Amino acid sequence: MNQILNCRTLNHRHILVLFTSIIGAMVIMAFLSGKLIPDAAAAVNISQKNLAPSLQHLFGTDWLGRDLFFRTLKGLSTSLTVGVTASLISAVIATLIGIAAAMGSKIIDSLISWLIDLVMGIPHIILLILISFACGRGLKGLLIGIAATHWTSLARLVRAEVLQLRSQQYIAVSRKLGKSNRWILIHHMLPHLFPQILVGVILLFPHAIIHEAAISFLGYGLPPEQPAIGIILSESTKYLSSGVWWPAIFPGLTLIIIVLLVDRLGDHLKLLLNPHTAQEQEDTH
Amino acid sequence: MKIRRSALIELAFITLLITACRTSALTGPADVKKDEVIIAISSEPTSLDPTQGWGHGTTPLIQSTLVEFTQDMTFKHDLATDYSLSDDGITWTFTIRDDVTFTDGVKLTAADVVFTFETAKDSQSSLDLTFLEKTEAPDDTTVIFTMTQPTATFLGTIATIGIVPEHAYGDDYGIHPIGSGPFVFVQWNRQEQLILAANEDYYGTVPAIKKATLVFMDEDAAFAAVKSEQVDIALTAATLAAQDIEGYILHSVTTVDNRGMTLPVQPAGKAATKDGYPVGNNVTCNIELRQAIAYALDREYLAKVALNGFADPAYSENDGLPWNNPDVAIETDITKARQLLTDAGWQDNDGDGILEKDGIIAEFTCIYPSGDSVRQAVALAASDQIMDIGIKINVEGTSWDDIARRMFSDAVLMGWGSSNPYTSYSLYHSSNMLRDDYYNPEGYANETVDAYLNAAMQALTTAESYEYWKLAQWDGETGTAMKGDCPWVWLVNIQHLYYAREGLDIGKQQLHAHGASMPLIQNLKEWTWNE
Amino acid sequence: MIEIISKQILKIILLLLAVSVIAFTLVTLSPVDPVQQYLLGAGAVSPAQRVQLEAYWGVNAPPLQRYLNWLCALLRGDLGTSLIYRRPVMDIIAERFLNSFALMMCAWLFTGIFGSVLGCIMGMYKDKMPDRIIKKLCYILCSAPTFWLGLIILLLFSVWLRWFPIGFSTPIGMLNSDVSIWQRLYHLFLPALTLSLVSFGNIALHTRQKLIDVLNSEYILFARARGESDRTLLLRHGLRNTLLPALTLQFASFAELFGGSVLAETIFSYPGLGSAVSAAGLNSDVPLLLGITLFSALFVAIGNLIANILYGIIDPQIGKGAGL
Repeated sequence: MNQILNCRTLNHRHILVLFTSIIGAMVIMAFLSGKLIPDAAAAVNISQKNLAPSLQHLFGTDWLGRDLFFRTLKGLSTSLTVGVTASLISAVIATLIGIAAAMGSKIIDSLISWLIDLVMGIPHIILLILISFACGRGLKGLLIGIAATHWTSLARLVRAEVLQLRSQQYIAVSRKLGKSNRWILIHHMLPHLFPQILVGVILLFPHAIIHEAAISFLGYGLPPEQPAIGIILSESTKYLSSGVWWPAIFPGLTLIIIVLLVDRLGDHLKLLLNPHTAQEQEDTH
Repeated sequence: MKIRRSALIELAFITLLITACRTSALTGPADVKKDEVIIAISSEPTSLDPTQGWGHGTTPLIQSTLVEFTQDMTFKHDLATDYSLSDDGITWTFTIRDDVTFTDGVKLTAADVVFTFETAKDSQSSLDLTFLEKTEAPDDTTVIFTMTQPTATFLGTIATIGIVPEHAYGDDYGIHPIGSGPFVFVQWNRQEQLILAANEDYYGTVPAIKKATLVFMDEDAAFAAVKSEQVDIALTAATLAAQDIEGYILHSVTTVDNRGMTLPVQPAGKAATKDGYPVGNNVTCNIELRQAIAYALDREYLAKVALNGFADPAYSENDGLPWNNPDVAIETDITKARQLLTDAGWQDNDGDGILEKDGIIAEFTCIYPSGDSVRQAVALAASDQIMDIGIKINVEGTSWDDIARRMFSDAVLMGWGSSNPYTSYSLYHSSNMLRDDYYNPEGYANETVDAYLNAAMQALTTAESYEYWKLAQWDGETGTAMKGDCPWVWLVNIQHLYYAREGLDIGKQQLHAHGASMPLIQNLKEWTWNE
Repeated sequence: MIEIISKQILKIILLLLAVSVIAFTLVTLSPVDPVQQYLLGAGAVSPAQRVQLEAYWGVNAPPLQRYLNWLCALLRGDLGTSLIYRRPVMDIIAERFLNSFALMMCAWLFTGIFGSVLGCIMGMYKDKMPDRIIKKLCYILCSAPTFWLGLIILLLFSVWLRWFPIGFSTPIGMLNSDVSIWQRLYHLFLPALTLSLVSFGNIALHTRQKLIDVLNSEYILFARARGESDRTLLLRHGLRNTLLPALTLQFASFAELFGGSVLAETIFSYPGLGSAVSAAGLNSDVPLLLGITLFSALFVAIGNLIANILYGIIDPQIGKGAGL
């Protein structure tokens, strides 16, 4: 049994590395290409409107003549930027709060737990709408909104981890040796936490993108000139019934694929980092 | 457990079957009844109270008006049997019919007219009755209006204010109106539908359409509704209308519903509005720049490319109306445009294709309400063309809130157009400058033009007033036209487009004003189905 | 038990209070001036009315006082008047809640039934064809944005196939009194389907995992050794132990459900709380926005309460089962 497991785990690791590099490459490519593509490629060219997908225009053109392939890439890069930024900010908030809850006094812990319940008690979209409203709509509202709604589960995770670590022997020994809390935090706990946080960010990130798309779709996000996938999809809905289906389908599929891949990456990483679950779960993919 | 599982499946199956069988019962009457009509429009009224603006600019279907503005742009008697104006132009005397009752059976008297106008005046709504001093009813069939000054546009205003019953008026009149018009109010589900029925006791010709349902949808949802044959007539946008739909005919109505760019005429940095929003733009305040844009645009091409041809060139706010000065029309002349700029000192010094002068780059932002595909297309196409003469226009979509803040310092893709020349007054008179009502955000003021506008408002006859309106546009030397002060660069008059089911006769459509929803149904009482 | 519940209720009230503070703060921060917005939209307001509005909003008062004003009005049952609908917010919420509730319950049922069924199938045929296919489907569903799926559904079933209406809750042109329950359900179907796809994948995968866990446990081994067939195993042991956790998860997903309804209702022009809150935000209708926010928080809190109670019931049972 053990031998089989070992083989499996080895293979699993290889698969994972391969997987990660492919996805990483795709994501980075999407991101960079969005930045590098000149504005002109996705510019308005009204004489070219509503062309079906062809070799010249891989995803076709929309009702203003913009090449959809480039527009989608640009949109993707914007969405990715927003998603990554928001996820990182969220992760930082979550880490700080989680640690504060676990390391602080009982009162702080209860307060923070209550705060987490509070934020989780309002449906995400409504909170996003409120925050976007408060910031007058636009990019700022979007970033703040997504960062402010996604930190909760990660914070809970961090808190649980730190609580568990606190009770470890080597921490107690460190304390006896006279190290301050801060030192213990930085030198013992953070390295331990880091992989968990990384997985958390990666798993957070697709949600962030989807929420960004949803909120832009409703009309709260970026202006139509600075496309993110949500806007592209939202605008394209108008033309669906007139038979122009490609502005809605292709960007949507692209979004799904990226989200799917990042999600799977996060899952695999989680399995790998947590040997216990890796052993329990015989099937991985 | 076993039984339960299969029972569940069976239950599901049966439910599906029943649902399928009842599909016809689910959609309501499948056959189009030949005296009912379902209309999909995009703008929903906020209230059905004429004193709060319902029917303003068109017709308040549920209530009646004293006079009616016909398709030939003359006034026809409606509730009024006769009217006259005193020699000094201050007193209007109307005699009204005595055989009209509201749909609750109570007779309509002059007292109701007085009540209506007093309430409308106090409400300070979009109706402008500031020139009305008082309204009196010496008897049941006579109404006397006393103005503070001669107001040539008063008849036009009267034609759109419906008379409300004094005895049945309350706070919720706007959602449960009673009137004496050709239609009776039945039901209103906000943001969904408004149902009207024909008024069988109407004093005029009872409408052929017995039941009209107005459904409120965006153009794209309306398009889907037409495709699935769920509505009889739907408003659509030029960007969607290039398609043929079986069973439906595309009607296009010429309009005076125009689109143009307002360009701030004041330089930046000095003033702010009373709410603190910045005023002025250092690029557009140069008149030669504005005029260059006006001359460089090929409006026919704009209409063709951006709007699939469903638009006509626009040269002013009132093309085609009797008070329009034909001299405002200009020819596309790129050479002239370039010349204007060069003469004023604009040059491209750094070779990037954009002109500069005295350190100012010929670049500015034009904003439009995001979600309006027509304005977006027009703005983008225009900015494309203007790039050729070295001026860069950055087109940006944003919300109306934002526009309300930025319209004093950025160009805006605006639109107006009405059958009442009072619009011209609102657009250009200096007293209306920089207010939050979207009429004159560019900060335009010209004394000569003010004088003409005042004269037009106080003219004693319509013909005389028309002369003054025209002079305000261009008197040979100055004016609001593009060849004059050019505070607006007019682009196109969009056509209002409707997909109508074959057999639906929507009567002779008047020249439509701004907004395609209400103008479509203003002649609802003349609609009928052809067998 | 009652003690626990009353403690929970107290917690909920505290929560709602906190939510109201947050929501009010956010709304106050907005650059939009509520009175100006109201006036722009209203078009016709007499000076007396304007003074009244300003008093209600406490335009010149400090934020704290404004909040207290609003809170006092709230406790009296007055949530203000909506800008868009020109009616008391309470009325609008009451009306639309029924529509949204019907929608959410339908979606909830779809998710619950189909999610559990598919989860069971996956668990039963672990690693074989059915499991692999359905699992991939679930992952894709989890990754697709709700609104996109909704659009595809609208396109497919309403516009192309014409099996269902394109939106609204009642047939066009029909009087309120004439609408039947079947018609309401008919209009409800597609939005409910869209909404159910939100949590569908999660429930299915969760059920699958739970079923796998159960099937791997000792008492199942024992039952198998006794010769019980797969089917009996599933129905007698598996279902009992997986359904309740799945149900708990369902109750805890009220927040997602509500959030998803905002999108589903907007796409299908369904007149519920979701589309109302989106319209309220876009049109700066502050009273409505605040009212619905509070209401949604209440809704989610109740869902969590039920989930907690259920979890309390489940735990002892599972404990007993495992000890066998």
